[in-house]
Amino acid sequence: MDISDLVDVQQGTLDPRIYEDEEIYQQELRNIFARCWLFLAHDSQLPNRGDYVTTYMGEDPVLVVRKRDGSVGVFMNQCRHRGMRLCRADAGTAKSFSCSYHGWTYDLSGNLVGVPSEDDAYHDEINKEEWGAIKVAKVDSYKGFIFATWDAEAPSLLDYIGDFRFYFDAFADRTEAGTELIGGAHRWVFPANWKFAAEQFCSDMYHAPISHASAVLALTPDDQDVDEEVFPMDGTKGRQFSSELGHGTGFFVESGDVLANIVGQKPADWFQGGNPEAIGRLGEARAERMRGAHATLFPNFSFLPGINTLRIWHPKGPNEMEVWAWTVVDKEAPADVKEAQRVGTGRTFSVAGLFEQDDGENWSEIQRVLRGHIAKKSSFNVQMGLGHETYEDPDFPGKINRVYCEMAARGFYKRWADMASGQSWDELMASVQKAAEASL
Amino acid sequence: MTAQLESSPVTSVSVELQHQIEQYLYQEARFLDERRFEEWLDLFSDDTYYWMPTRGVRYERELDKEFSRRDEVSHFDETKRGLEERVTRIRSGMAWAEEPPSRTRHMVHNVVIEPGDSPDELLVRCNILLYRGRLDRDVDIFVGCREDVLRQSDDADYGWLIANRSIYLDQTVILAKNMSIFF
Repeated sequence: MDISDLVDVQQGTLDPRIYEDEEIYQQELRNIFARCWLFLAHDSQLPNRGDYVTTYMGEDPVLVVRKRDGSVGVFMNQCRHRGMRLCRADAGTAKSFSCSYHGWTYDLSGNLVGVPSEDDAYHDEINKEEWGAIKVAKVDSYKGFIFATWDAEAPSLLDYIGDFRFYFDAFADRTEAGTELIGGAHRWVFPANWKFAAEQFCSDMYHAPISHASAVLALTPDDQDVDEEVFPMDGTKGRQFSSELGHGTGFFVESGDVLANIVGQKPADWFQGGNPEAIGRLGEARAERMRGAHATLFPNFSFLPGINTLRIWHPKGPNEMEVWAWTVVDKEAPADVKEAQRVGTGRTFSVAGLFEQDDGENWSEIQRVLRGHIAKKSSFNVQMGLGHETYEDPDFPGKINRVYCEMAARGFYKRWADMASGQSWDELMASVQKAAEASL
Repeated sequence: MTAQLESSPVTSVSVELQHQIEQYLYQEARFLDERRFEEWLDLFSDDTYYWMPTRGVRYERELDKEFSRRDEVSHFDETKRGLEERVTRIRSGMAWAEEPPSRTRHMVHNVVIEPGDSPDELLVRCNILLYRGRLDRDVDIFVGCREDVLRQSDDADYGWLIANRSIYLDQTVILAKNMSIFF
């Protein structure tokens, strides 16, 4: 199947088979998840030598380990002997990883260091250097966020983040000390394709006042009206950004005080001007005026600056995803800000979260409808704001549109189609260059 | 405090108290299953704390780290006000995860009662099995244990108030698309 025919960003249409077709899913695993830089873990999860977490890159399980030299190693969580999963805990501290099947043992870098009965059973003829765990091609981190890719041809992490860096920094680089995760993770299953979630966090402020009406209402104090000040319906009061690399974000500018209602006044103040260091590092537009933002770093890493939830949408077949979500705080934020975020983020954006409960209903019901023949034949509409982008916003660089818009969804799916159909990194990065030149 | 404590090899409470507390928990379950959320809220003390930690997979030697701590993230971290907000949400008619409503059945088992920290309180542990049906075909089953602090109160309609509830589920990855219900 030619995937590039399924996404038409000129007309703003999507073929819904991209969400449910098994063959397309296999192409995603091969051409996207085995090639992109994927977020794995935050530095603060691995403070000491031997600390590890297990996670997934696409559907491939990996171990992320703080090695003896202090760097981070990433390798397949699988024994090379007969393919057994090496480590079956989510996290912990280890000196080595021993397979529970036949006992092959790997060091913190994934090198095979022990084979039971090596002399007797293998006659000392096995070459252990050849049979280390499969390692990723590249590991890198940006401001404490650890990423890896299986593809040696992939561009550098910084080039991969590209023009999205300006917006990522507004979340990750507010202070010199950076961010840290609060312990504990929300993990749950949505019976829906991973792209629904990744794209919504990339591009969709439009759903919030409808899908989350009940949460906005419940969290609005009795003496306050849900008006333009709290949740603007005027799209000119916000911006959406779309990167040629597939990343995207949207946010209100100045108006939109919903953050105070969601996580509390103290985090809202801290995030919207109460942190002088952030103003110095980021300038006032990013440090004070961005409100209620949503964001996705292509393909499946999303976050909400201010609300400060961070999540990976792990693909689990075309019809299911598994969400892993954390709460992140500025390491040097005052204790009461951190405490408000610990409670406020979890009770709004999580499996039991006042906001997020309703997202699952949308995505799972779309997925269920797509079992139908007529449903699969009928295009989806992503035309909002088509042709109204600008490159001349005084405060926010790159391709910009109104906040209620599907420009970033079109960007996400364009990148998705280009990658899934097998374009090389040279082709992919050339189109980024070309778009940058065209914008000047 | 009139909790009649007696000693036996397996329980320190009288048959009467055991019966009274079990009936109280059944009444609470009935309020939830009949969606009488306002009456359910009245069972909680004003200073209540309602908490469900997250859970991860750990090896035996690190099993003390499988649940998130009180100062980490959790599935529920609620004051009375927080529980009221959740009920407000459900009653709004726009809480799509509960509109149309879920159908729940709370089963309460293995109720074990111990003395509490103060004379008017009891520590009540039980196992719960919660079935949820939604829409045409959705089914979720949650199994876990609850640890409640019940406080005796002459003002309370049912004689006791839930002053603290901790819920420990036996799932790590929650196999449901949401937890829009109460435990």
